[in-house]
Amino acid sequence: MAVLLQSLISGILIGGVYALIGIGLTLIFGVMRIINFAHGDILMVGMYLTYIIFTWLHIDPFVSVLITFPLMFLFGGVLQKVFINRVLNALAQNQILLTIGLGLIMSNTVMLIFTSDYKILTTSYSSASIQVGGGVSVSTPLLISFLITAAITAALYWFLLKTDTGQAIRATAQDRDAAQLMGINVKRMSIIAFGLGAALAGTAGALISPTYYIFPQVGGIFTLKAFVITVLGGMGSVVGATLGGVLIGITESMSAVYISSGWKDVVVFVLFLLVLLFKPSGLMGKSRT
Amino acid sequence: MNKTTLKAVLVLIALAVLLAVPKYVESPYALHMMILLFLSVTMGQSWNILGGYAGQHSVGHAAYFGVGAYTTMMLMHAKQIAPWYGVWIGIALVVVVALAIGSICFRLRGPYFVLASIAVAEILRLSAINLTTLTNGAEGILATELPAFKIGETVVTDFSTKVPFYYIGLFLIVLTIAITYLVQHSKLGYFFQAIREDQDAAHSLGISISLYKNIALVISAVLTSLAGSFYGIYVGFVDPPTVLGLDVSVQIMLICIIGGMGTLWGPMLGSLVLVPLSEALRSNMITEALVKVGMVNAESKVGIFLKENLSHAHVLLYGILVVLVILFMPDGLMGFVKKLALRRKREAI
Amino acid sequence: MAILEIKNVSKFFGGLAANSDVSFSVEEGSIMGLIGPNGAGKTTLFNCITGYYPPSKGEIFFDGRRMNGLEPDKVCMLGMVRTWQKVRPLAKLSVVDNVMVGALARTWSLKTAREMALEQLKVVRMEHRADFLAGGLPIGERKKLEVARALATQPKILLLDEVMGGLNPAESEEIIQLILDIKKRGLTQMVIEHDMKAIMRISDRIVVLNSGEKLTEGSPQEVVNNPDVISAYLGESHA
Repeated sequence: MAVLLQSLISGILIGGVYALIGIGLTLIFGVMRIINFAHGDILMVGMYLTYIIFTWLHIDPFVSVLITFPLMFLFGGVLQKVFINRVLNALAQNQILLTIGLGLIMSNTVMLIFTSDYKILTTSYSSASIQVGGGVSVSTPLLISFLITAAITAALYWFLLKTDTGQAIRATAQDRDAAQLMGINVKRMSIIAFGLGAALAGTAGALISPTYYIFPQVGGIFTLKAFVITVLGGMGSVVGATLGGVLIGITESMSAVYISSGWKDVVVFVLFLLVLLFKPSGLMGKSRT
Repeated sequence: MNKTTLKAVLVLIALAVLLAVPKYVESPYALHMMILLFLSVTMGQSWNILGGYAGQHSVGHAAYFGVGAYTTMMLMHAKQIAPWYGVWIGIALVVVVALAIGSICFRLRGPYFVLASIAVAEILRLSAINLTTLTNGAEGILATELPAFKIGETVVTDFSTKVPFYYIGLFLIVLTIAITYLVQHSKLGYFFQAIREDQDAAHSLGISISLYKNIALVISAVLTSLAGSFYGIYVGFVDPPTVLGLDVSVQIMLICIIGGMGTLWGPMLGSLVLVPLSEALRSNMITEALVKVGMVNAESKVGIFLKENLSHAHVLLYGILVVLVILFMPDGLMGFVKKLALRRKREAI
Repeated sequence: MAILEIKNVSKFFGGLAANSDVSFSVEEGSIMGLIGPNGAGKTTLFNCITGYYPPSKGEIFFDGRRMNGLEPDKVCMLGMVRTWQKVRPLAKLSVVDNVMVGALARTWSLKTAREMALEQLKVVRMEHRADFLAGGLPIGERKKLEVARALATQPKILLLDEVMGGLNPAESEEIIQLILDIKKRGLTQMVIEHDMKAIMRISDRIVVLNSGEKLTEGSPQEVVNNPDVISAYLGESHA
């Protein structure tokens, strides 16, 4: 029983981070209809950024989120303006290939600069845990990252629901042409959406850096998981991505405990194929066959 | 003689030249480069049928490459089954994988096929790592001793030189180019391209979308698995990242993107660019050339940096090439050539 | 003999009734006009008939055969083909290759398909454009190409969705003559159009849709003098 609770809780905690990644991707897809294959690599950049800030400036990774978030937002905005913008009306395959190329450039540039060596970011509390009772303990860094994730998600929801810009983004995501006719600057919305998506991905990277190995190729698997989360939740749905992230976190955690850690990712991908088979529009999505 | 006959004659001459190469070229390195080229063209042509002609962009073709490679190697290593039998099992397996993916995804719209293709390749890669009793896990399978190929009692080859591999490679590119040509000049080719151009219009013209997408996928998967089997026995070693990794899938696509998708000679052009370039990087040829020309001092920081890192940079190069081609030359080299030809045609009218 | 029978067809999208209890028949060899203000449900009806999506209620019979739920490719092979309101050329293929795709519905031989394609191109007077890239054609020729491509599938009935939309008077006249020529070949046609003069000239009968429902049906004279039809169109300007 304790084992079940333990893996459930760990799953929810990491699920929060996954939700961030998924929300970022679904925002980009919702506003621009672009599948961002560089999403995981942007997360990787966030991880390395956090590592640099920690190693040189000795700022705690969770505190440095305050620096990482805006920096990654800028990074995303630049990427959108210089590259993504040019393929907004191109064939879907070209958009996909462009983001794949950008991802390759990111991961391999980082590899050239930092080498493929696995880096570890160890803080004083990296292996600490809190006893919750009933034989269940919760990893401290995971808990802190979940709390930060919850805060960011809440802020994001407030932004999307209550601010003008946020509502403009939602309008653009719902119907780009109609939004433009209503006077919304859709180009600007695209930059903001991509910037936000990058900021969320980069922040997710920052949050997991105390507990994950940091290496240039780490992005690939996160890109894939981000897609599973987004499809599971329904492409374009922020609520769906939130739910999807937590669900995937739980699935992974339980699989690691009850099957093996080597197979946990396979379970996630098989789940993905099953979703495609039975409900491709996802939990929140409208059927758009 | 008219244009078609001229083209056919040129192709035959090129083929004759290629057939004669091993008789006059002794250098194993040169033969190795040719074999790499043949492998690249085969992989590109195979993907091209599905991605270039039918417009279904699989970013998970490593799945078929890897299944072909692993099946052949596993059977040879564990059961002493010769690769010319093992290759058929590989083909049977990829057909199953391909139809499984096709039946799940081809009735859906949007990018689902792309995502599912990646997911399947990853599932296979992770399975290869985990099923250690079957695949030797992350250590991979090493099998360099090939049985001698006999017809009756005569030994045709014992695979001790690169020459037999050269001819197998040559056979593969002839096979894939011939199949591409046949598809292009058949009902299949027309229907594939109709699906690519406008799926709804094609559907309303009597074309069964899932049937033809699946046909394209199966043809593509089978040819890719042949390339994988060939790679396995040539190199003698397979492991999960090398034959089932995302890099492989991206590389396969890149050959077609650079060369020109949906064209007969696109993958050839793309390979002629990519293979020498990546080999030049890998073998430090570029760094040495820069040093020789005097642009870079071998002892300087830049020189040492280049020497140590440029050989790993070929994937970075792939990334830069993809971005450049998509932004400035989305129809690839063949598209560029065709545009010039079309301009001349229009001016003539 | 009624070649196409629409019986109580309704189509709902969520709560919206795009088509509501529509019934009529089309006589073989005739031209049925389908008119109505924007949003009346004309294209939706075409989509239901040709299998793009199934009707929510009701039945569709073609040549006596129930068509509900059949895939668009089966519908075409049974002899019903449509053109699109927003033209859909196969842009990267040549004009003749476009039409060949249609012809290949009935043959495996490329040679035969090419001959059939060139024949249809002659009918629409575009055989001189055979090797041109379809994507580079002006709108008038794109519309003609789409008709030629549809004809190449050897249909029994041709459904034309606003084939004159966006054309100048000379081009429209060409299409009208084309439609009348097609009728002479014995094909049945159903034509969605906003050009009232054209519809009056070519139709044997007209069905009027309004807000998803069938308003009325009758000969061109009956329909044009029907006060309900006139008031449905009130505020709409038409040539």
